[in-house]
Amino acid sequence: MDKNICQVYEDEIQLLEEEIKLLTEKYEDSQQESTFFSDEEILMSINSLQKEFQGESKGNESPSDLKARLGSLETDLSFLMKFTGIQFRSHSKQTVEKTGNRTVQKHRLSANCHSLSFQLEFQLLEMRNKESVSAVITDLNIVMASGENSDMRKFVSSAGEHGNLLTFFRSLSSYAEWYEHRRCTFLHFK
Amino acid sequence: GVFAHLELLEERAYEAAVKQEEMEQQEEKLARLKTRVQELRLQRDELRAKVDLQQKGQLGKEGAVSNPAQPSARAVLEWKIKSLKAMLQIFYLTGISGKLSKRGVCFCISTAYEGTYLDSFHLDLLTKPEVQIYRHSVPIFIPLQQIAKKYLQTDIRRFLSVLSDHLNAYVGRRYQADQLQEHFSGQIEGTLQRNSLCNLLVFNYNVSSESKTFPFNVRLLYGDPCCSLPTEVVISCTPDAPAPLAEMAAAHSDLFRRVALHKAFRSFGSAGERVD
Repeated sequence: MDKNICQVYEDEIQLLEEEIKLLTEKYEDSQQESTFFSDEEILMSINSLQKEFQGESKGNESPSDLKARLGSLETDLSFLMKFTGIQFRSHSKQTVEKTGNRTVQKHRLSANCHSLSFQLEFQLLEMRNKESVSAVITDLNIVMASGENSDMRKFVSSAGEHGNLLTFFRSLSSYAEWYEHRRCTFLHFK
Repeated sequence: GVFAHLELLEERAYEAAVKQEEMEQQEEKLARLKTRVQELRLQRDELRAKVDLQQKGQLGKEGAVSNPAQPSARAVLEWKIKSLKAMLQIFYLTGISGKLSKRGVCFCISTAYEGTYLDSFHLDLLTKPEVQIYRHSVPIFIPLQQIAKKYLQTDIRRFLSVLSDHLNAYVGRRYQADQLQEHFSGQIEGTLQRNSLCNLLVFNYNVSSESKTFPFNVRLLYGDPCCSLPTEVVISCTPDAPAPLAEMAAAHSDLFRRVALHKAFRSFGSAGERVD
């Protein structure tokens, strides 16, 4: 009889631990997604952390390590933006659903590709199985800021129809490069 | 006599002591578990309350211990790091992402079919003394060396773009064949034959006319490696097939050239065209 009670307690402990894990993640995600710090605030934090830390070794990551991690991520991002021509101006996301192996997030992005500005909204569904993570885009909404001509309208509407985010980016890249090249050529001849 | 009796008493006392100890251990364990459950319940309830408050947008003024209204410098930097990581993940969705390495760049080409992201392929490039491919996960039937020879030295962007075209087309063709096998296996007769590049598909499917079923044999050739629609479609039916079937074969042949394979089969079901 006692063994059964033990089992009941142990089951409840496991459930509670899982629930706590999910609640913690939900809380942290929400914190992350609803906060924003400007570049100045980031710089101020780097400086104040270095001052605070003088001689301390709390088992926390040292400010120089933190700074290095930050620096490396910024370098990678800046490289990608320069290389692809795609500059992200702002990005916000909201975790809509998060269960055991399924996460749904709403993303809002404003960016430009060379001189073409656009805004994106979409939902990203990620499902984790044993070996991989699958990603599916739904509810894709694309708005081109620079006014649409017929070429742009074509690939924007067909991409939006099927949630074809990847095709949108690939078509946009090549279109934007062509557009930029044409613009430079015109300027050259002015 | 007496000794035997004593021994028996000793044994019984020993057994009783063991039982007593077991019982005490069991009680202790129960008590521990009970306490743990109560601790966890408390923790869970506190978290629930925190999350509820957060949902209502009131947090920050409560001064909860782990997140004071004035976040620490460390917390601010951790926020920035998470935020940058999220943005780098978005690059994955654009098709080209990567990171700088000591001797060059590691690129990651992602592929997708419509809204579903599929395989991603990695290329480790060295940039000195000249651009070269150090390592990659591109399958052997993609003409990587050919594409590299043409573009790698002069225009890396173009190189990646052309490679991406090949990879996306390959993955797209494979996806269509997989979808066909997964969702329309009832209509396929026998096995679907395909090569590694998935640019040659041969299979049989059943079509019915006047309540009789006839097999169609289809050969799809995808002549353009950067395209996921076939350039050549050959549909043949048995010689004893009635005339309207020849028309159907021609219609299907045209359809397969214009529409993705699994979507074509989906349209068979809904259009009332009997394919079973």
